Amino acid sequence: MENPGDDRKETSIERDSSIDTVPDKQSTKIDILLNATGNVPIMKKRKWAVEGNKPISSIMSFIHRYLRMDAEDKLFLYVNQTFAPAPDQIIKNLYDCYGSNGKLVLYYCKSQAWG
Amino acid sequence: MANDREVLRIVWEGQIPVRFQVDPDEIDGVQQPENFYLMISRLSYLPLVTDKVRKHFARFVSNEHQDGEVWYDCNGTPLKWHYPIGVLYDLTTSREDNALPWCLTIHFTKFPEGVLIRCPNKEIVEAHFMSCLKEADVLKHQGKVVSAMQKKDHNQLWQGLVCDKFDQFWAVNRRLMEPVGDQDGFKHIPIRSYNEDGTYLQKLIQPTTDSGQKRTVQDLLEDFGTPVRKAAENGNTTTAQG
Repeated sequence: MENPGDDRKETSIERDSSIDTVPDKQSTKIDILLNATGNVPIMKKRKWAVEGNKPISSIMSFIHRYLRMDAEDKLFLYVNQTFAPAPDQIIKNLYDCYGSNGKLVLYYCKSQAWG
Repeated sequence: MANDREVLRIVWEGQIPVRFQVDPDEIDGVQQPENFYLMISRLSYLPLVTDKVRKHFARFVSNEHQDGEVWYDCNGTPLKWHYPIGVLYDLTTSREDNALPWCLTIHFTKFPEGVLIRCPNKEIVEAHFMSCLKEADVLKHQGKVVSAMQKKDHNQLWQGLVCDKFDQFWAVNRRLMEPVGDQDGFKHIPIRSYNEDGTYLQKLIQPTTDSGQKRTVQDLLEDFGTPVRKAAENGNTTTAQG
């Protein structure tokens, strides 16, 4: 996440420094699917693997950067087209409760959709 | 659950006596403000009492900061406005030093960026509260009840909380706390298990065990792994359970 625009590692949002170590329970990667909704650009690559112990705000700022949105542009993120998680909610918590078929499905948009 | 009115009322009426002071470094001038005391509902949120606290302290801080965004700390720990006040109290007081009142400091400057989420207005608090209710309903009824509600029902829930109107709130909330259709009870139990550091765990929790027995609070604590000193339910059930 510290390297915006770094697409070399296709399957991961983040450059994973711990890739050669045995992942402990906390740093297990979780597959997420990012869907655009409403008047917002789609992402060429929708499926990403992210660290489960990261907050949802890290995904929001990633999308923000990936789509080169202006700093003042708002971004809303929803779980399964239902509710907006708090920015500090941990991705693993959401995956454990709302994940299906091995991934967590998120929707992003520029204005409130299911809010 | 929605029928246990006396218990619901006792939970609703849970209050904490709070003593507010302003950060001494932010006082502009020689006059020292007196502390400010309030009884605050455990189910409420800090931004909902900010108007009163700000009014008391604003004239003691410099003009440029009087109307800005404020934040609170307890013994140096910044408080997350999006946690219910009762949760914040439980997280910041240990059993040994739970002497009342609960002492908080209000800050008009030095917002701890990256630690707290900004809260520029009360609409943000309302949106957060409604999101919590929706999330809880997704777990309880796959979101069917909250999505069938009208805007005025949502308003009634929010206004019930803001204005401390038990009957107004529960007239709508009872629908969120009952089984729907042929459901026997809730599909899942919305619950969060808070750690001492203020983070929390959430899991998909069924109301019954594999053998069909109703699960107890003890079962849930074991699910989340000890030591779980404090467990608080999320969203809608926070308002039911405190």
